[in-house]
Amino acid sequence: MEVDQAMGIAASAVALQTPFALRAATNGRTPKKPMDEAKFEAFYRKTARPVWSYIFRMIGDATIADDLLQKTFFRFLRSNPPIVDEDHLRHYIFKTATNLVFDHFREIKRHREHRFETPAASSGHEDLRHDMMRAFAELKPQERALLWLAHVEGSSHEEIAEALGVKTKSVKVMLFRARKRLAGILTKHGLAPEPHHA
Amino acid sequence: MPNADPYEHEVDVWMKQFAAIDDRSPRLPDANSLWVKAMLMQSTAAMERAARPLTQFQIAAYLIVAGGWAALVMWKWTALSAWINSFTPTHIILGAAGAQTAASLSMTFVMALIALASVTVMLAFHTILAEE
Repeated sequence: MEVDQAMGIAASAVALQTPFALRAATNGRTPKKPMDEAKFEAFYRKTARPVWSYIFRMIGDATIADDLLQKTFFRFLRSNPPIVDEDHLRHYIFKTATNLVFDHFREIKRHREHRFETPAASSGHEDLRHDMMRAFAELKPQERALLWLAHVEGSSHEEIAEALGVKTKSVKVMLFRARKRLAGILTKHGLAPEPHHA
Repeated sequence: MPNADPYEHEVDVWMKQFAAIDDRSPRLPDANSLWVKAMLMQSTAAMERAARPLTQFQIAAYLIVAGGWAALVMWKWTALSAWINSFTPTHIILGAAGAQTAASLSMTFVMALIALASVTVMLAFHTILAEE
């Protein structure tokens, strides 16, 4: 009974606050009712793994990725995003994860203790992953986020700009530089993909 | 406008390979437990928000009561210090400790003393009950 009451209080408290940034992010689309447990579960099943992969590729540490994944979903639920459509929610969760990853980088910069963890390789497959992780780690965190969001998540320039807190116009130039840097790193390590002939 | 980025295709292919490569199995927490934890955290935050004005009022009350006691002591400091100094063994044996001082205190002072003492006791009870 008390738990139900607490949940009721929580739900009404949550329903009161819709962040301004999120309202702006809906681009005039009509928000539907807030997320309930069943919708959250379905959304979580679809997004938890890709979000974890993103955080893990950004940080290179599985334990920290586990921790940040939980924080991402807690922050997501606390902000109570209204359901506009699934794409919007997906971009919103990646934006939240990006913010937490950058908070993490700021924190470790303050303590100057970060090193990108690349798990020790034990097989051919592990070797490849190890090499890819090391190559990716040579990029700056912002470049990693840019490339992941653009090429893996298929985010638009507007969505990337919003996630990284930069101007939309800058994204194209930043992406070009990040791609150029990654291409250079891949060539240096002999990891560039085979040229594709149509 | 033609695509001017010569690295786009190469990077796109590599990024997709990189994304597809198996991760070590992540320990994804259960959705239900995340939901319950998030709701509990929100209810705690909501309760803290609701209790904030009360806490501020309590702090203000502490300051007012402390200020009241300071003002009261300052107001009759001479009489009070004389009263404290009168507690010598001789005066106590004679049963006259503070009798002179007590006679010099005004009715207003006594009333203020009683009122302030009552407020202090009420505040103390409120603090204890709120803690519980």
